[in-house]
Amino acid sequence: MSPRRIPIAALLAALPTLVGVGYAAGAATGLIGFGAAGFSLRRVASVLGELTVWRGVAWTLTTAAAATLLATAGAVLVATVFRGTARGDRAARALAVLPLVVPHLVAAAVFVFLFGQSGFLARAIHAAGVADAQGVVPTLVYDPLGIGFILALAWKELPFLSLLAFSVLSTRGPELEETARSLGADRRDVFRRVTWPILWRGLLPGVVAVFAFVAGSYEAAILLAPSEPVALPLLTWERYTDPDLARRADAFVLVLVGIGLAAIAVAVHEWARARWERFEG
Amino acid sequence: MWRGDPSINAYVDGWIAPRLLARHGITLRAVEGQGPEIVNQLLVERDARARGSADLIWINGETFHNLREAQLLYGPWAQRLPNVVYVDSTAPTIQRDFEQPTAGYESPWGAVQFALIYDSLRIPRPPGTVAELARWIRAHPGRFTHDQGFTGVAFLKILLYALNGGVETFQGGFDESRYRRGSERVWAWLDSLRPALWRGGSAYPPGVAELHRLFANREVDFSMSMNQNEVVTKVRQGILPPASRALLLRDGTIANSHYLGIPANAPNPAGAMVVANFLLSPEAQLEKLKPEVWADGSVLAVERLPPEWATRFHGATAAGALSSDSLAKYARPEVAPEYHERLAADWRTRIRAGGS
Repeated sequence: MSPRRIPIAALLAALPTLVGVGYAAGAATGLIGFGAAGFSLRRVASVLGELTVWRGVAWTLTTAAAATLLATAGAVLVATVFRGTARGDRAARALAVLPLVVPHLVAAAVFVFLFGQSGFLARAIHAAGVADAQGVVPTLVYDPLGIGFILALAWKELPFLSLLAFSVLSTRGPELEETARSLGADRRDVFRRVTWPILWRGLLPGVVAVFAFVAGSYEAAILLAPSEPVALPLLTWERYTDPDLARRADAFVLVLVGIGLAAIAVAVHEWARARWERFEG
Repeated sequence: MWRGDPSINAYVDGWIAPRLLARHGITLRAVEGQGPEIVNQLLVERDARARGSADLIWINGETFHNLREAQLLYGPWAQRLPNVVYVDSTAPTIQRDFEQPTAGYESPWGAVQFALIYDSLRIPRPPGTVAELARWIRAHPGRFTHDQGFTGVAFLKILLYALNGGVETFQGGFDESRYRRGSERVWAWLDSLRPALWRGGSAYPPGVAELHRLFANREVDFSMSMNQNEVVTKVRQGILPPASRALLLRDGTIANSHYLGIPANAPNPAGAMVVANFLLSPEAQLEKLKPEVWADGSVLAVERLPPEWATRFHGATAAGALSSDSLAKYARPEVAPEYHERLAADWRTRIRAGGS
């Protein structure tokens, strides 16, 4: 591909997003959509002034960060511990990738069936003779801390990040690690100075993608997230389907907030990459 | 149309569609979409100046209000349907939709009434009024909640009527000061019961389907429905426990109708009218009424029907269903749509946000 074609291809890929952002910006500021009466920042100001919105943003950010962190830690663990060619290693890697075939909605639904207050776990405890099984099972569905949401999404994102970690390590790892060893590095040094830097740089784009995806996840949130705080995707949909038509514009303000969060994550990634490229360059 | 109920889908796809094709050569293709989604779809189509994607839409008063407000409905057409002569034109819950005159912009399809759902094995003697319900909730902490969707807002509206001297207080259009005074009592009622609600009132199921699941799994002892007969079909499908029953609170429960509208940009309004007319026929309304089909209330006046149809309608009451006399006795009409909008919005800020 010639260098001049690249911006065009990138522009084509970004076009739907740009159109969407443009429409959302117009609808949020009274330029397009129902009740559009000329440019005004009234809805933007009113939405950004709501405590509910900021509580929702905070909830979405922390749960998405926690789920991403858990999944990343799991992927690093699986990829470094089971990286050999032995049968056990191969089996472990295959198992870690297995959740990849489960759709997100199904993963969340299965989670409710297993760990809900009247789910499989509660039933098993009840069958074992505990009278108040529902009280014994921790509240993981609609729970304000979002622990169920975090666990379900971490489990669901683990295979994606694991696959990425396997490929990063197998393509770039062995040669550099061998070199380090031949230069006298011990196992800890090899991990600290070679394996880990390769891993996290290779994983970072995937980590950012997972974070943005989890922060925007509607299907898992509707099944697992609490009623309050209201997760940002749920709040967006709630405003978009509000019985009062005048609230449609709120939804577009929230869409812009969501896109802004994802854009910040991408910017952080670009900044980190520029930093280490400067180091290496 | 809303595609969330297998019985309704089976009626539309398996009974209505083949007859329309055989008799009128019309291919009926039902697609998913309800309430606000329909409004959004039509708004976007208009913005984009696109050809309409739907000829006939299934709506309720809330959506009707939005669509009329945004001038997205075709009409008037409904009074020109031949089968309109059978419609119960004396029923206030059919002629007026959320206090708005239908004005020929929508044609009635079914009539329903709100009911609580309980398990007669778990609660042999259920509470019969809003006051008794409050006492029951206090005596059984953690066993009652309502959903955040349309059905939950209908429940709030029942509280609004019951705690403020009846529906009459709110009839005749939206009144801000009456709403404020009235809704304060609803929030006070919910606040005082909050500790005794499911999860201490800190979480509420997003929709009525999740509430059904909590009820079936014995996490709570009540569910609710905007169709008094839903309990009959859901028990038959094995979704709700076998001894589940519908319960009407004697303070009065909301009765309303659901309708069919034609979008202003419909590609084929004439075809849509043929379909709407068939859906209004005694044959289609009777089939829909059967408990093993959908158990959706008819909008026809039995005394206006040809005698052979009248007898068949009389014989069609479902086993386990509520009698039409008690239904009529406790039926209360909907009030202006603004009450619904405000209750939904204010519940979120007053009750939900204060719950954790």
